[in-house]
Parts: sequence; structure tokens; C-alpha cells
Amino acid sequence: MRFYVDGWDPSYGTSMEIDDTAETVVAVRTDIEVATDQWAPIPVRALRQPSATVFVDGVRRIDARVWIDEPNHDHPERPAADAGLGLCASYGAGAVCCCSGRGAHFLEPRIRRGSFTIGSQAAPVKTWAGTYDARATALQESRGPAWSLSAALQTKLTELELQVAVDAREQLGAHGLGRGDELLVLDGPVRGRAHLSRVLGVIKSHQTAYLAPDLHRMVGSLQPRERTPVFLLDTAWDRYTWYLRLPCPPGHAWAGVVRIECGTTIGVSEVLAYANLSQTVLPRFASEEYKDSRAPQNLYPVAGLERELRRRLGHAGLLYRALRQAAAAA
Amino acid sequence: MSDEGDPPPERAVGLVAGTEDSTPLLFRVAVAEDAYLQLDDVVLTRREVPGFGTVSTAGVVTQVRARHEGASFGSDTFLIADGVLPAHLQELAEVTTTRVEPECYIPPRPGTLALRASGAERDQALYFDQMATKVPIGMGRDGEPIFVNLDFVDGSRGAHVSVSGISGVATKTSFALFLLHSLFTSGVLGRRQLTTRALIFSVKGEDLLFLDQPNVRLDDELRSSYAALGLPAKPFGSVGFFAPPLPGDQTGRPNVVGRTAGVGAFWWTLAEFCRGELLSYVFADVEDERQQYTIVVHQVASRLKQDAQPAGRDGAVSINRRQARSWKDLVDLIDDLLNDEATQADWAGRVTGQGTINAFLRRLRSSVRPLTPILRGDLTETASRTIDTTNHQVTVIDLNTLPERAQRFVVGVTIAAETARKEKAGPGGLLFTMLDELNKYAPREGSSPIKDLLLDIAERGRSLGIILIGAQQTASEVARRIVSNSSIKVVGRLDPAEAGRPEYGFLPPSQRQRATLAKPGAMFVSQPEIPVPLAIQFPFPAWATRLSECATSPGSAPTSDTDGVTRRDVFDRLPTLDPDDDFEGGIEPPPPF
Repeated sequence: MRFYVDGWDPSYGTSMEIDDTAETVVAVRTDIEVATDQWAPIPVRALRQPSATVFVDGVRRIDARVWIDEPNHDHPERPAADAGLGLCASYGAGAVCCCSGRGAHFLEPRIRRGSFTIGSQAAPVKTWAGTYDARATALQESRGPAWSLSAALQTKLTELELQVAVDAREQLGAHGLGRGDELLVLDGPVRGRAHLSRVLGVIKSHQTAYLAPDLHRMVGSLQPRERTPVFLLDTAWDRYTWYLRLPCPPGHAWAGVVRIECGTTIGVSEVLAYANLSQTVLPRFASEEYKDSRAPQNLYPVAGLERELRRRLGHAGLLYRALRQAAAAA
Repeated sequence: MSDEGDPPPERAVGLVAGTEDSTPLLFRVAVAEDAYLQLDDVVLTRREVPGFGTVSTAGVVTQVRARHEGASFGSDTFLIADGVLPAHLQELAEVTTTRVEPECYIPPRPGTLALRASGAERDQALYFDQMATKVPIGMGRDGEPIFVNLDFVDGSRGAHVSVSGISGVATKTSFALFLLHSLFTSGVLGRRQLTTRALIFSVKGEDLLFLDQPNVRLDDELRSSYAALGLPAKPFGSVGFFAPPLPGDQTGRPNVVGRTAGVGAFWWTLAEFCRGELLSYVFADVEDERQQYTIVVHQVASRLKQDAQPAGRDGAVSINRRQARSWKDLVDLIDDLLNDEATQADWAGRVTGQGTINAFLRRLRSSVRPLTPILRGDLTETASRTIDTTNHQVTVIDLNTLPERAQRFVVGVTIAAETARKEKAGPGGLLFTMLDELNKYAPREGSSPIKDLLLDIAERGRSLGIILIGAQQTASEVARRIVSNSSIKVVGRLDPAEAGRPEYGFLPPSQRQRATLAKPGAMFVSQPEIPVPLAIQFPFPAWATRLSECATSPGSAPTSDTDGVTRRDVFDRLPTLDPDDDFEGGIEPPPPF
């Protein structure tokens, strides 16, 4: 497989949002915890911290954009007349276990490298710094090749995060924890991972107003550590969710507010227990403004995990060099 | 372990780190989680070099640091401790290379295994394998002995020892004595042991008057630490003690308080003074040298040599039929001779002005009180009056009761005499001369007869067999030629301001910093062969350093043996001391006058 590394900055043209920002809300049920006309902020209750709280997150980095020659099938001896776009990306997912015994520590992360291509030519790219596994990707005509590749990368990353989350559970048992009260916190929606037990998803940014205007206004009146009652949200998939304000200095109405999700495979009483637990657990990990530009929503363990994962992805400049050397040798 | 060449796992302490440049002379080791490296540990790495074979780079740890990787703010520490922020604790040891064998100066590669050197590897790293004769000087931080090369002590390739440090905590004198003990008892001197002598000037208290007494604090633990160095834990075997005569006493008893027997009184007779032209040592201050009257000093000294006739058997002199039986008499006599018109030209020089003569006389007169006890013409001659290093292995001269001017006189005259004797005898044995407060006798600025003598010893003593062991609080105030001629440089606790001076450039920055908090008994020893000074800990003295530490019980252990002064245990009459009694002062030394 002949390929060329694009001289442009690999991050060029890939900064689009992958999240489904404009979700179509099918239904919202707000009478799960209390009757809709009795909605009021729910204060924090004194609950014990779980023996272990595990945070799972993933990072991705595009190491190079490549152009892969489409061989001329009619005249194989002639030089290629067409080339397809590809992305060589490194991505990784990991977990931090915050437990009473060992403090906050990393669980073994998973790092992958993939060569995402649209054309017919999908082959692993071998470099001295590592192999980029072949990831053939289908083109989504309406969105274009760059979006399709980026989405494919995101899908792979989400899969990896899921694997890590499952692994983390097993590793907890291995180091003497897992007495059943541990909590798994995902950075982002729980979609596709809702079947895991004791899992919460934390959404940091708010694009859609899910609640009716008067209930929506109530979110702005939450005090730190207070939450809204749980409501059921049905878009393309359904989940229980609630808003929680993390401790932060006074600011705009939605400062420090996160939305927390939980799967629908469990009963309502269990969901309410998680909602109460989230008020005890998450504020503890909320970051300070001067330490994190995304404070307080970007939780300390997640920030530390992202830093570690980016480091574990390897040196970008070095990988770029390795890819160019591999391209020259191909 | 797959093959026999692999090191035992417990010796592997980590891997060479690649976060900072690794160089042939300085590299870092990332310490494994279950291992540790402390300052002064000896570390070894090996690297296969094509066409060269295995190159081993060894060094000592000069800095160790630990940090939280993943923390960006100091306050993150609390988050980490609280279990909120994940971080990794990593220790990095900085290793300063001491030896590369074979000589192929390549950097240890990051990721290479680093081992704790022991046994033969440690000896090689610290060049002990190359030393023909090793003198043990203490324990390293790793609990193994540290040596100096005798070749750099005895004058074969270098000589002289310079010990610096703050008074009281640097234990300079204790270290110098321990070095002498090691030289005398480790057998390194071989046949020269019989002819080797040590001359010690004691300027602070009577601490050194008990060198021949075992220390009460000598227990099995201390014995074993001496044994680990291959040395016997015992006091000095053959020691002669000298002290000035008691002022005003006509019987020539030594002026000592704590130790009353076994000490000989020393003085010079006026006849000796005139014959030996010792007058210049009366004017041994640096400021004297800057004055016009030095010409008068030399003139008067040579007239005294020529004109003074011995009178009587007690060392008195007479000049022009006038007798002088005391130093004051002689000063008066010189005064008269210089002011008498008939003799002035002969005694002061023809062109010397009255002002210069008066300045000389003022200075001479001010010496009457300090020098009267030791310049005598009124005491009955005794056999032990003259300071002589030949009778004992160690000779201690107690100067603590003398004023500074008299101390200078004694040091100057004694060293001059010993140098002359050594010059005559040839370089057979060695004479170790231990002098505290060297900055007083050989200051950086100015010149004096004593400084000239010491400079001569520093530069020529090596071939004569005179080895200077100089101690000072501040090496920056000692004549540069003396410090630079010292092969062995030793530093105890240093004043922070002093540690920054260029004289201590041989200490790497971390050791300079450590020297400001070195505990008593800890020294940094620099020797020519080893590029990094080694930190050592030497054992507590096995000999008493004050009266309260003397272990002798009634009826045992005789004291001085050969000079005929004493045969009986001098401490018989003293009450038995409680060994637990930690009375610091012993008997208070008399206040200086």
C-alpha cells in the first residue's frame, strides 16, 4: 500500500463536534421522583463515600492525515490516478480508581493506534514507533469523508472506553476492593454502556434545554450540591437524568451545573439512590477554577487521567516522523 | 536469572533516566519503587560498546529528589493525599561519575539497569583497588570503610591535610587525631612506624592531655566500629605531654589543671634564646612585619647571639657584665643598650632613627608579660624541659594557658627546631605536625616568620618528611599556597557563608549544602584520585578527650612510660567517676588572660 503523509497540520479540519448536539427529544417524564408541580431543589444527604469510585475516560489524537493511492485496476503498471483520505490516529482509554486504601491511582490504560481509511485500500501501517491497525470506514455521503473518519475514530474510542470500564470492574476485585458499593463514573453519556451496573455518566456541557421553561429555570436556582429531581429522557434512547450543581464560586445561573445520566435497566428506587449518592461523591472531585479552565465540571481524577493518557499516547512529533518514514519506505 | 552474568535482583536499584540529558560525567537514575538510593551510595551501570567491550560507569549519588508526577500545583499534594487526583511518586538520583572503566567516556543510556555497587565494584568505583596502601579514615554512608591513599599523605605523591569547619561541631581535632590513630595503628606505615612522630599543638583547653587514657564511653559497639575499620579501639600508646611552667612558680611545675602527672614543663633559657636568635619569633605577628623596626629586630638578635654570655647553670645570660635572669631583665638590658649612646649604633644599626628604636622597644616591652613564663634564666634545668619529638610517638604541647603572643613564639620556635632536626636526620621517618587555627599562623594576607616556616613546610615538607595537618575554621583565610598544597582536603560542618567561597570549589553544590548541616563526626574528604569528595563518619574517640572521660580505674593501666616523670597512675587519687555522668566540661580550663 502506497500512501503519503499530508504536510498539513494533522488537526486541521477535524475540530468538528462529534456529539449529537441537536438531539430530537421524543419525550421527557418529570414525575419520576416527585410530582411535576412539586419540583424543588433536593439538598445533599449525609451518605457514605463508596469504597471505590472509578472514573473512566478516553482521549484521541490524530497523528497524521494520509492519502492512500487507489491502484489503477485497469492498468496496474501505471501510476495511481486517484487517492483516498485516511487518518492515522492514536487513541486510548483508561481509568482512575479513587479508593481509601491506595488513594487515586491509574488502572492500566489501553492505547491503540488506527489507520482509518475510506477507500478500498485498508492495510495496517507499520512504523518503528508502532503499528496503526487498519480500520476500514464507510463514507457517510451527507457528511463527507473527514467527518466520517473522525466519527469512526470516536466510535472506536467509545468501544475502547467500554472495554476499560469492564476491565476496571475486574481489576477492582483483584486489589481487594469491589465489595459491591463501588461507583463507575463515565465522562460523557452512558449510551451503549448502560448495561454496566452502578454506572453514572457525567455531561459537562448543555446544548439542549430538555425541561419545560419553568422547570428549566429551577436549575439556575440550585445551590452547590443540590440537584433537581430525577427525570426520564427519551431521545433516540432513554435514560434517567438529573442536574447537579458542583461547588463553585457564584457565577452565572448555570455555573458548575452538570447533568448526570443513569441507565434504565434498573428500578426507580435504585436510580434515586444513585442520584443521592452523586450529590455526595461528585462534589468531592470538583476542580478549582485556577487549576482547570473547565472547573468545576472537569473533575480532578478525569483531568489527571486525560493528562496521563495524552502522555501515554506518545510524542506526537515522534509519531509523525515515524509515519513519514514509513510512507517513504512504502 | 537466565544467565550467570545477571546481577542479583536486590542490587538493581532502578534504570538510567532519560528525562534529562545523560552525560558521561553526570547522569540520573530513576529509582525503582521498591528500592532506594541515598546520598553517597555508589552506583554502577554497564554498557556494551561495539569494538570496546563492556564499559562500566560508576559514580556516587550526589542528589536524590522525589516528586509527584502529574501534579502541577503545590496544593495538588493535598488532593493526591486525599485520593482525589491521581499521581505517581518518582525518585530520581543524580549520580556524579567517579570512574569509567575502561576509559571510554560515553553516556550511560537511558533505560540501562543501574546497580548498587558493592565489594570489588565499589572498591573500583572509589579507586580503592588502585591504592597501594590504604589508610582507613571512616565509614561511608553505606556502612563500608572509606580509605585515603597513603601515597598522598606520606609525601610519596602528595602530602598535607587541611581540615576545615566550624569550631565545636566540625570535630576537626577529633578527625585529625583519628587520622593519626589510623596511621599509627593500621600498620600502613610498615617499617617507618618506628621512626614516625606526631607533634600536636593544643590551643583549646586541656582536651588533648588525655590521649593516652581509654575513654569511659568505649563500649562494645564502639569497639566493633573500630574493628570494622580494622583498627584497635585503644588510646595512643606513646604520648609525651608538655605544658608551660606555672607563672610565678620557681620550681618549674607545669601549668596544668586536669592532668597533674606525666606532663613535663617546657621553657627556653635566655642563653638558648640568645644563641638561637629566637628574638624574631617574639615579633611573629603579621603587623610586625609591616613595621620599620624589623631591621632593629634582626640587628638586636645578632648582637644577642654575639655578645650574650651564659651566666650560671640556670640559663641566665650576661651582656657587658650585666646579668639577666628573667625575660624582663633581658628586655630592660636591651632597652638600656639601645638608649645608651655608646652602644646604640651597634645594637640598633647606624642609621636607625630614635622613633624606630622606640617603636621596637614598645613592642618588645609588651612581650614581657606573655613571654616571661617560657623564657627563663631562673629555673633549675630538668631533662624534660626541651620539647623533643623523638622520645614519644606523639608529642602534645599544651598552649591553652599561654597568651596568643606566647603561643606564636612556641609554635614558631618548635616548628623551626623540628624542621632543622628533620633536615639533618633525612627523610627516613615522618613527622606529622598538627596545628589548629592555621589561619592565625599562616594568614592569607601579610607575612611573618611562622607563615614563612609553614609555607616552607607546605612546599618542601613533602620531601623532608614533614606532613602538616592544619585545621582552621575558614580555609579562605589561610595562605592559599598552604591550602593548595594539601593533597587531602577535609571539611566538616561549615558556616553557610564560608561554604560559598571558592576554596571549597572541590565540593559539588549538594555537598556544600550538606556541609552546612553536617553532624559531629561527619566529614567530607577530598583526595586527588577521587573526583568527588566522599562523605565519611568516623567513630567516637577511643581515648579520653576530657578528664571526665578517663576510664582508668585504680591500680590498672600505667600512664606515661619512658620519660621518667611518672610511674604511678595519676588518677588514683581521684574519686571514681560514674560512667553515666555526662558532665560536659570535665574540669574547666582556666580563663585566658
